[in-house]
Amino acid sequence: MNQQATTTRKTFSRKTSVQTSIAADPVIVWALLTHAAEYPRWNSTVISIQGEIKAGATIELKSTLDAKRTFKLKVKEFVPEKRLVWGDAQGSRVYSLEKSGSGTQFSMSERIGGPLFPLFAGMIPSFDESFDRFTADLKKEAETIQRSKK
Amino acid sequence: MTSDDLSSQFPTYQHQLKSFLLRLTASAQDAEDIVQETYLKAQAKIDSFRGESSLKTWVFSIASNLAKDLLRSQKRWPESVTDICKEEALGDRKFFQEAIHIRQTSPQGNFEIREHIAFCFTCISKSLPLEGHLVILLKEIYDFKVKEIAQILQLSEAMVKYHLHVSRNKMMDIFDQRCSLINKQGICHQCTELNGIFNPKQKAQEELVKIEMAREAENRSRDELFDLRMRILQELDPFESGAAKLQLHHLEHNRQVMKKYLSESD
Repeated sequence: MNQQATTTRKTFSRKTSVQTSIAADPVIVWALLTHAAEYPRWNSTVISIQGEIKAGATIELKSTLDAKRTFKLKVKEFVPEKRLVWGDAQGSRVYSLEKSGSGTQFSMSERIGGPLFPLFAGMIPSFDESFDRFTADLKKEAETIQRSKK
Repeated sequence: MTSDDLSSQFPTYQHQLKSFLLRLTASAQDAEDIVQETYLKAQAKIDSFRGESSLKTWVFSIASNLAKDLLRSQKRWPESVTDICKEEALGDRKFFQEAIHIRQTSPQGNFEIREHIAFCFTCISKSLPLEGHLVILLKEIYDFKVKEIAQILQLSEAMVKYHLHVSRNKMMDIFDQRCSLINKQGICHQCTELNGIFNPKQKAQEELVKIEMAREAENRSRDELFDLRMRILQELDPFESGAAKLQLHHLEHNRQVMKKYLSESD
């Protein structure tokens, strides 16, 4: 099932989610999500990711959402081919993969919030478009690899 | 499968194995050593060979593991390897004197642009991550199937496809940017420059039209041009060709330069 990104807002938090079916092995989707240096080649929402995406590691992410800012994020969960979570004190990005036939059911969500959230909520841009581009890029790249020559 | 079977079959792919190991390690000595070690290890383990893959695939698996053991402790080379090594070579009188001597005296001392294209790929592909390097060599040059590469490297077929896709794209990006044979704005002209030094009476342009990749540069897609580049490597045995000695001398020079460069960048 392919869905456009949606955001639900509460007083002290905001959560954006998206999901899509990818006609590629979860191994390929996982490889794309966890090879930091490769992101800019296939993902139009990422400028760079420095560091290694592995359990407990810290990465530095530059996103097109705010090109001047570098986000220092900790890899909080790392379950190969199933679940990847990174984030900071303000929020967490969760990637979930589920094998579905010969493909993958992929979902991605990010929740940001906290007691001070109402003060800075207006300054945070919407993630919806960026989430849609992220999943479209991931789907395209993973399916291209899956179809590649034997 | 018996020890005698291995003894009789091993020589049929020994040259290919040595060529693969040279392109992986960039060292003729390491390639030679690993071939010998592979044979000894295969003989020692022949009872464990269950025929789940071809013997050739099994032998390449042993060799790849030995090479990985050697290469894991070594840093990968930078994409700009040929620029760095060119700078060093220009200041190294001995390197050029030896090269000219090989050119003048050895039956394998010819300089051919297509040989240099293969040499160039060997150097630049060492900038790929090791798994990606292994996969691209095995698939694009030594014609193993994805399933066989998965057996050789103990990876899933999906992961082999991932490495192949990433490595191909990286190499295409590098050559698109650098190689003046396929891009007029390309910054590297080393093959034609060296042709001018080693074959002063030859016109590089006349040589280039003999090379399909260069001749077709404007008409083919980047994937097709990369396949043509790979075909050049498929057709050359880096130990047996008419330019082998000169290219091996150049490769050893680059290996030494990289060793020094990488140790200084620690």
